Amino acid sequence: MITLTREDSRALIRPTEEDVVAAWAPEYRSKMRGAVADGVRELVLDLANVQMVDSTGIGLLIAAHNSLRKLGGHLAVIHASADILDLFQSMRIHQHFSVSGQ
Amino acid sequence: MKPSVRYGCELWQTLAAVPSAVEEFCIEFRRHAEKHLDRPHRFAAELLVREALNNAVVHGCRSDPGNRFRCALRLGVGRLTIAVIDDGDGFDWRAVLRRRNDNVATAATAATAATTAASGRGLGILFRYATRVRFNEKGNAVTVVKRF
Repeated sequence: MITLTREDSRALIRPTEEDVVAAWAPEYRSKMRGAVADGVRELVLDLANVQMVDSTGIGLLIAAHNSLRKLGGHLAVIHASADILDLFQSMRIHQHFSVSGQ
Repeated sequence: MKPSVRYGCELWQTLAAVPSAVEEFCIEFRRHAEKHLDRPHRFAAELLVREALNNAVVHGCRSDPGNRFRCALRLGVGRLTIAVIDDGDGFDWRAVLRRRNDNVATAATAATAATTAASGRGLGILFRYATRVRFNEKGNAVTVVKRF
């Protein structure tokens, strides 16, 4: 289950086990788009329970970042594993939004 | 040096061009990797499998659920080989390699996409994590090798 906790213009998305990959992209996209449309400007994705992010997942995060930035908001990723941090760094994702490890 | 893979596994499957089929295949691969591959190598191995398969779904099969593609995977001693072939028109992989080499030559990122683009990172990940990536002439088959 991918849960979204909302407080004013901030929201936290926390999956219980769903990796940020192609198969789960529609669920994440729906949550993120819904939140932004609903007024969320600070979106935090908690990857504590996520083992894998693929290129589709990275694209999803970049799209969310681009949408939020246009509206003056921002995206942050927290609790990423060392492997995911390494992937983000090699793809230079960490230059665009805040990424922190476990 | 102690081999990272203690045993091995082979997976041969024809998959529907849908993300759920890729996910199912990758979850099965993860089970084998947890059993046969040392922890530090599992993420890269699974990521390569995912990107090779995603590439076939999106580009080879144009995300048409009616299309299918074939995947052969072998996890042997110190080596993962993934071969994927689809019935698509292929792509100009030489042009991609040229662009990638140009980027490296100009000290730009080895990733193929602009960093703010929302797509186009699959091949960059293959090149970043694999030991070797080879395409057939037509560009509708790829073989990815990872040595551990």
